[in-house]
Amino acid sequence: MNPIIQTVGLTKVYGANGAAVHALRGIDLTVEKGEFVALIGPSGSGKSTLMAILGCLDLPTEGTYTLDGRQVQGLAGGELARIRNEKVGFVFQSYNLLPKASIVRNVELPMLYAGVGRKERRERALALLEKVGIADKADKLPATLSGGQKQRVAVARALANEPALLLADEPTGALDSKTGAEVLDLFRELHSQGNTLLLVTHDPSIAALAERRVEIRDGLIAVTEGVA
Amino acid sequence: MKASGAFRERLFGAWVEIRENLGRSVLQALGVLLGVASVLGGFSISDSQRKRADEMFVKMGGLDKLNVQPRAAIKDGRPTALQQANLGLRDADAVGGEALQSDAIQGVSRQKNTRSRVVSAYADQDRQVSGIGGDFIPANGYGIAQGRGFSNMEMEIGAPVVVLGTEAANTFFPKGDALGQSMRIGDIPVTVIGTFQERVFRFRENQGNQFWWRNRIIAVPANLVQRRMNGDAYRRVDRVTFRIPDLNAMSGFAQQLKNLVKSNHRLQEDFRLDDVAARVRRRQSQGSVYDIIFMLSGVLALVGGGIVNVNIQMASLKERVREVGVKMAIGASGREIFKGFMTEALLLTALGGFAGLVLGIGFSWIITASIGIPLYMTPASFVWAYGLAAAFGFLFALYPAWKASRLSPMEALRYE
Repeated sequence: MNPIIQTVGLTKVYGANGAAVHALRGIDLTVEKGEFVALIGPSGSGKSTLMAILGCLDLPTEGTYTLDGRQVQGLAGGELARIRNEKVGFVFQSYNLLPKASIVRNVELPMLYAGVGRKERRERALALLEKVGIADKADKLPATLSGGQKQRVAVARALANEPALLLADEPTGALDSKTGAEVLDLFRELHSQGNTLLLVTHDPSIAALAERRVEIRDGLIAVTEGVA
Repeated sequence: MKASGAFRERLFGAWVEIRENLGRSVLQALGVLLGVASVLGGFSISDSQRKRADEMFVKMGGLDKLNVQPRAAIKDGRPTALQQANLGLRDADAVGGEALQSDAIQGVSRQKNTRSRVVSAYADQDRQVSGIGGDFIPANGYGIAQGRGFSNMEMEIGAPVVVLGTEAANTFFPKGDALGQSMRIGDIPVTVIGTFQERVFRFRENQGNQFWWRNRIIAVPANLVQRRMNGDAYRRVDRVTFRIPDLNAMSGFAQQLKNLVKSNHRLQEDFRLDDVAARVRRRQSQGSVYDIIFMLSGVLALVGGGIVNVNIQMASLKERVREVGVKMAIGASGREIFKGFMTEALLLTALGGFAGLVLGIGFSWIITASIGIPLYMTPASFVWAYGLAAAFGFLFALYPAWKASRLSPMEALRYE
């Protein structure tokens, strides 16, 4: 079976010539379907850059990246947007919900971009909110929700188009330990349902939840723990 | 895509955005509003004025008249023998002209005026007396109030009968019993057989009657003037008027008539043709200059508003970079972001434009009311005003929307 993520010699250089910064220096990473991988590393290690490339928010300078069977490098902006829409679900530290749209509209948005019909969109959004346990807040605005609830909405939104890869960037970073644990439970549950998870964190205790830990240091994979 | 209601969602999103940023949105709409109001107002005021002027022409007796009047052939010095022998405008010209295109001509009238002492039991004045022939009375918009007009017989023989305008009737018969009375024009006793209806036209409600002089008319058969007052053997007239309802036939006829009269007059152009419709056309082309001025001022307002809008949009884009980043992260393409911003700007333009139409109506109403002419608005003015606003709204929305659509998703997400 094809891996979800396969990168070969991924490099990323910011700036040009003299002032060039090598954020990634050749990453070879493979993530199989259904894996739960934690990406760890200190700030400045290049893990954010790696995540941006894996999430198709940015393109590598060199190397190849195949996401769920699709070659990503060299694609145009519109194609990348489409891949993000269909194959990647993002969960951010700061939730990044649209403050002016209701909860259910936030969850509907990726489906809207994917061209899902209005009725189906609403039904699926409500089902997802049910799944993450906040169906009763569907018509509220994000500002009225607690941090944990917001993150659940973000998870529901990330799952909207049944992505091949769920990317979470410090998903508990803004939450207290109790709600953080609840959100992590949700991730574990999603993993047990067969979703592929990539979690970026600097917290070893959170990383310990993953099947495999990949540590990035100075733009290279330093250590890999757990089953590959 | 259609079934997904993406447009509807964008529209809703745009509406939410406008509502959430009411102050900024109102400022942005203001430029559009003023532009639309000034185009609509300008057009409507100019239309109202023109309509009023057209009404005046209609009341004067229509646009279908071609006047022939004598003109001095001698500009300087003494007349040559040829010029002296020139016979001037006369009945024969009217008859000849009528024969030219008899089917196009609905009527011919002629005038032979004189100044004379006019005496009744109540007044004794030196007055202009109009000798009229043909269908002068209807062609010039006169109507009979009391009594009757001239019969063909009276016209033909130059009978000593008179029809008075209201002012003339009041002056010479202040008791209001003019009908059947006799008076004297020069040495000739004439009988009053009718009075004209009063002619009133005010360009503005509080202005004087523009047609007051028409009420001074003292009308007698043209033949009476020609034969017994100041006529001559050549039966010269002061004016011949042809009525040609088919305005397309007018210019061709005018040319033919010019040639005919010129050949009758031994090739002297001692007459001039005055085409009322051409005069109106000239005036309308003057009106279109005003239209252009009004449009220009509206366009300037719209351009000014547009530039302000670009500034406001660019500033507000700074606040919304992150929102754009989030949308892009969950799969919005640059095109989608572009459409979103465009929808917002165009919705704002539509709302501002609508308010502008309302303001424009109010504005035109106040101006026309204050100068005292009835308000007249054409659908074309609305279309122009709104169309211009839409065009400029679209044009000025392009840049900020394009800018937003070009943001890099990663940088936008990191933007604080």
